[in-house]
Amino acid sequence: MNNIKIKSKNLNVYYGDKQALFDVNLDLNEKEVTALIGPSGCGKSTFIRCINRMNDVIDICKVTGNIEMDGMNINDKDLDVVSLRERVGMVFQKPNPFPKSIYDNISYGPKIHGKGETKSELDQIVENSLKKSALWEEVKDRLDEPGTSLSGGQQQRLCIARAISVNPQVILMDEPCSALDPIATAKIEELIDELKKTYTIVIVTHSMAQAVRVSQKTGFFHLGKLIEVGNTEKIFKNPDNKMTQDYITGRFG
Amino acid sequence: MSNEHTVKSYEEELQFLKDSLIKMGSLTESQLGDAMDAVIKVDKDSIDKIIKSDEEINKFRSKIDTQIMNLLVKRAPMAIDLRETISSLKISQDLERIGDLSKSNAKKVKPLPLDLPDELLGNLKRLGELVMKQLNDVLDSYVNKNFDKAKEVWKKDEQVDDLTYIAMESVIDFLSKDKKNLDFSTHLIFATKNLERAGDHITNIAETVCYLVKGEYLKGSRPKGKVIQE
Repeated sequence: MNNIKIKSKNLNVYYGDKQALFDVNLDLNEKEVTALIGPSGCGKSTFIRCINRMNDVIDICKVTGNIEMDGMNINDKDLDVVSLRERVGMVFQKPNPFPKSIYDNISYGPKIHGKGETKSELDQIVENSLKKSALWEEVKDRLDEPGTSLSGGQQQRLCIARAISVNPQVILMDEPCSALDPIATAKIEELIDELKKTYTIVIVTHSMAQAVRVSQKTGFFHLGKLIEVGNTEKIFKNPDNKMTQDYITGRFG
Repeated sequence: MSNEHTVKSYEEELQFLKDSLIKMGSLTESQLGDAMDAVIKVDKDSIDKIIKSDEEINKFRSKIDTQIMNLLVKRAPMAIDLRETISSLKISQDLERIGDLSKSNAKKVKPLPLDLPDELLGNLKRLGELVMKQLNDVLDSYVNKNFDKAKEVWKKDEQVDDLTYIAMESVIDFLSKDKKNLDFSTHLIFATKNLERAGDHITNIAETVCYLVKGEYLKGSRPKGKVIQE
């Protein structure tokens, strides 16, 4: 088994009076894909938003407990959140390219993080990121066109290219394929398989089949609690918890 | 929390599959018993009926195959539902093979003389009764999802092996007394071997039931009785 990249211990999240996560203890292994499943509102997105401190932008949100990356306390008040987000990229449900050219979408991150000081360095980053996200061949002749002119699936791969352009260690994906057709979904899944050689990936998904296909580890959340976590094959063939079984077999939802 | 699927038709399809398998099991059971009786009583009149019932069993097998394909395509079953679906596929294959062996035994009745001595058939009868009991128990373990009972059947195949050995020995003894017995004794040897093979399929079903219930395969090797050299 790979090393633990991220470790959460007794993690609690509150939105005002409402508690969204209850004592979540979850380890994410390095260079592996962890899938988080569970009904809407169960806390899986809240959990991944703790990893890059996205919850900071919500005033009423309070996080207690521990979440560490390589032993570093992510919740540390003195932590440089910008540098954290450089290490932890994120891809959302709906592709959200900047209203800029394909090239600028990717070069923006490296520029603000002070990477790629010369044009040729930036060119190289853009090319590498697009190659890694399996988009290069499709867009190499039209890098000046707006990112929004691409198809949905291409836009999502552009967002993945944008996330990896700053050379992160972790990529968070919040239902990255829910707005995509089956072929575009297959391309993203193929890409995830490739990306896990380099990055630690956490994916939130409502598709059981997708969780089985892409992940090595699966965690099932329900009402803010991590009910069961384990080897993906085990979870989907023979889960220990009855609630997990009821959820993945479609007995409640 | 309800145990039923949110999608009712999924629930019905799974139940329908289980019902088909149970019906197939009970048909296989009757056929095995009938074939056994036919051999012991040298009842040549029942041969055709037994052969015909094998066609019924085969039809069930194709029906179950179709149900399983539909479930896999439509529902992509997970966890217990996946195990239920895959187990049905495996169990129906074993039942079909037991059906073939019973048919083969029925066919062996034709060349048998009507005046077979009791001591020759006694051991074969005991073997037949044990295999019948094993089939009944394993189907019971499937219906009640009873891991312990399935494991018991799995272990008890050792007795089937031992009785097969004894039954074979009595036929060979009989054969060695008079070479004229060679022709029909060969059929009895095959009939005995068929019962032993049916026993092996029953242990396969027992293993499948254990997997179905616990999600893990039985560990270690099955106790084996005396084995006839093939």
